[in-house]
Amino acid sequence: MTALLEADSIVAGYGGATVLHGLSVTIDPHEVVVVLGANGAGKSTLLATLSGQLPFTGSIRVNGETVSKVRPDVMLRKGVSLVPQGRGTLTALSVMDNLLVGASTRRDKAGIQQDLERWFSVFPRLDERKDQVAGTLSGGEQQMLAIARALMSRPELLLCDEVSLGLAPVIVQGLFETLREINQESGTALLLVEQNAELALEIASRVYLLEVGEVTASGSAEQFRNDDSIRAAYLGY
Amino acid sequence: MPIVIEQGTNRYRGLVAVGLAVAVLVVLWASGLDPFQRGQVTRVLIYAVAIAGLNVATGYTGLLSVGHSAFFGIGAYTTGILVEKAGWGAWATLPVAAVCFAVGLLVGLPALRIRGLYLAMVTLAFAVAFPEIVARFDGLTGGAGGMAIHRVNLRPPAWSGFTLGEKDKWLFWVAVVVLAIVTYLIANLTRSRYGLAMSAVRQNEIAASASGVNIAIVKVTSFGISGAITGAGGGLFAIYLGNLYAEGSFTLMAGISLLIGLVIGGERTMLGPIVGGCVLIYVPYYTADIGQGQASAVLFAVALLLVIFLAPSGIVGGLGQLSRRILVVRPGRPALGRGSVPAAPASSGGHSSPNDRGHSALDEPLTGIERQNS
Amino acid sequence: MDIFLTRVFSGTTSGSVYVLIALCLVIVFRSTSTINFAQGELALLTCYFSWWLTEHGWNIWLAVVPGVVLGFAIGAIAERWLVRPVRKRDESAVLIVGLALFTGLNGLDGWIWGSDDKVFPRMLPSGGDSYFTILGARLYYDSALIITIMAVVVLALTIFLTKTNVGLQMRAVATNPTSAALCGVSVGRVLTLSWGISGALSAFAGALLIPMVPPGQLGLGSMFDVLIFATAAALLGGLDSIKGAVVGGLALGIGLALVNGYLTFIGGSMSLTVALLVILAVLVVRPTGLFGARRLERV
Repeated sequence: MTALLEADSIVAGYGGATVLHGLSVTIDPHEVVVVLGANGAGKSTLLATLSGQLPFTGSIRVNGETVSKVRPDVMLRKGVSLVPQGRGTLTALSVMDNLLVGASTRRDKAGIQQDLERWFSVFPRLDERKDQVAGTLSGGEQQMLAIARALMSRPELLLCDEVSLGLAPVIVQGLFETLREINQESGTALLLVEQNAELALEIASRVYLLEVGEVTASGSAEQFRNDDSIRAAYLGY
Repeated sequence: MPIVIEQGTNRYRGLVAVGLAVAVLVVLWASGLDPFQRGQVTRVLIYAVAIAGLNVATGYTGLLSVGHSAFFGIGAYTTGILVEKAGWGAWATLPVAAVCFAVGLLVGLPALRIRGLYLAMVTLAFAVAFPEIVARFDGLTGGAGGMAIHRVNLRPPAWSGFTLGEKDKWLFWVAVVVLAIVTYLIANLTRSRYGLAMSAVRQNEIAASASGVNIAIVKVTSFGISGAITGAGGGLFAIYLGNLYAEGSFTLMAGISLLIGLVIGGERTMLGPIVGGCVLIYVPYYTADIGQGQASAVLFAVALLLVIFLAPSGIVGGLGQLSRRILVVRPGRPALGRGSVPAAPASSGGHSSPNDRGHSALDEPLTGIERQNS
Repeated sequence: MDIFLTRVFSGTTSGSVYVLIALCLVIVFRSTSTINFAQGELALLTCYFSWWLTEHGWNIWLAVVPGVVLGFAIGAIAERWLVRPVRKRDESAVLIVGLALFTGLNGLDGWIWGSDDKVFPRMLPSGGDSYFTILGARLYYDSALIITIMAVVVLALTIFLTKTNVGLQMRAVATNPTSAALCGVSVGRVLTLSWGISGALSAFAGALLIPMVPPGQLGLGSMFDVLIFATAAALLGGLDSIKGAVVGGLALGIGLALVNGYLTFIGGSMSLTVALLVILAVLVVRPTGLFGARRLERV
């Protein structure tokens, strides 16, 4: 089975500082993978690179094909979509408009309409507020909007950058439940980046541990859950 | 290959002596030119003073201003009014740059709350407002029709040994001295702790503020000093021209011209204002017959774009960088140490850091704070 | 009462022109967070071009079309090749590019066509008898037309922005370019388009405006004051707000007409001074204007 996404020996950073020192990750289709790591480990940098926002050395292959020009719109067309840290809500636009922007690369009006209905039923709060200005939504609602917006491009892989940030645990639980459902029903693979990842680990199958820009450990979610030192360091118990 | 000379050594002193000698020779040569040519040089010197003032606010502190034509005008009209209405001796009015300092402080106040584009717009409003204000106070200023300074009031002081007929020669020498003093003052200012603060404010206000720099005081006084120097140039200009006409000399276009002169000459350099003055005076003069007199405007635009894209530190900065392949001057080792002076090795003429423009992508992530209006 | 109304009508007319040019400034600001200082001079260039066509027998309405196209082209090229490369560097570099364009375009006009004033044909009928009478006040035909044109343009722009895909993308980029890029929007193309639209609109507005502003002729200084008025209007309304441009422009136009009409004891035209005071007041008191939402600096 060809991997959905293969990132090989990625070296990337900002300005003069290198953050990722030659790391490699693989995501298989339909998988749920979690990337754990402390602040500054490079998790967001990794997602920024995979979504095409950062220049890097190394290679990225999607479905076996190397991507030559790695740019956001290119990666999007290849089926990789990012839910950015901090939601990235288009605050001046309505909820509906936010979702429509998410479908910018698509031309099939009927399909877009179908997806709108689908996500409105998965996130009924968004349906209630569909004409409301997105900036007035609560944090949790904006997170739902960000996820739905990223899904509007019908990606094969959804990159989620700290979806739980700043949200109440009960809301986070709901979100991860929804993400699990989306993964099981649509088969969308998920790459979740989280700092405190207890909930994320429950829906994950594999885990990478990132430390100072390198993958220092990887394995099944089960192994990580059972590893005491990891639990203590990253799960807080 | 580059020859390296350290400050404080004999070779360095020799270099400085050579530089000064060249400058003195140039000045002496200029003083011997025919009256028209010498008058052109005087104009260059006057504009160099004005641009040097602009350099303090825009070049060194990063407060872009298109309104320095108003300071120029305030200085000119102050001199004119004092001479014509209050009977001051013309040559004694130059220290009245103090008026411009006060106005500069006032104009600098908005800089506390806004920056960049918005501050530029305030200076734009200032520049457009000045001719209007002149017109409105026509009792004092002669209004839109202009103000004439009687030639007899411009007699050089007795101790100078120049007669009324040699007024232009005397003005030339005064301009040379004023420019020299201004350049020296600015050089010292920028190398002082205050200069460090100016540079910090220009590059990253948030970091500067976090390091304990009082950005409010730096910005406002910077504008004050800047206005005062440009105003001094304006005073000289009034004596040079003898006839003040706001709609002609102190408009927004004039303010833009000063900025153009600064950028083309070289921001944050000592010689940049002089080169800028030359550009402003001689390019229109030599291209007056081309393009129905409008060629200079187009040339300035092209030169400005070339500078922005190819040589952000202007002519002097660019030449300085080139010259550094042959000659490099290093700050003396034992004295201050490299850490305390943020200067890249400077050649004898320039004083610019080519990487100054803009800030690195690291700046904001490092401070972790989003930019707010300060 | 009829004098008051006449002044209001006259103010609405000039206000409508301010609205059109303020819209140009706002469209650019929404996309690139800068003001195009050379907006007025761009309009001036296209007006000279249109004038030149009329000198060769073109009807003025036809001549405006190539002018509008030229405006679009110059705006688009300026964004792509002059502004975009320096935007990342330094915000003052962008301002200097604007000033370079300001000086260069103005000089170019003088170089190509000379610095003497030209007679610019009226696009709209005018003359002593061509007016409506409303409640005793005169509303001239050309004034009514200008106000109508402004309304049509605002309506068209609003429909474009809210009902079309491209408009949606423009709004998305105006709000959050990074997020828009992540959704696959081609941010560069949107920026270029924004500047192009702004250039085209200012070309059109300029052609309407020139015959209206004394001395009613086309000269090198024709756009200086207008830029100040449009800037004051845009600032008043909020630099990133379309609605603000409309409100600001009309408020300024009517306000100036009333001030000039009733405060004659001050003598001379107060218009420019008032506009400058508005600019200063907005910048010092409330830089985001009445309806603006943007912070002062790009983050």
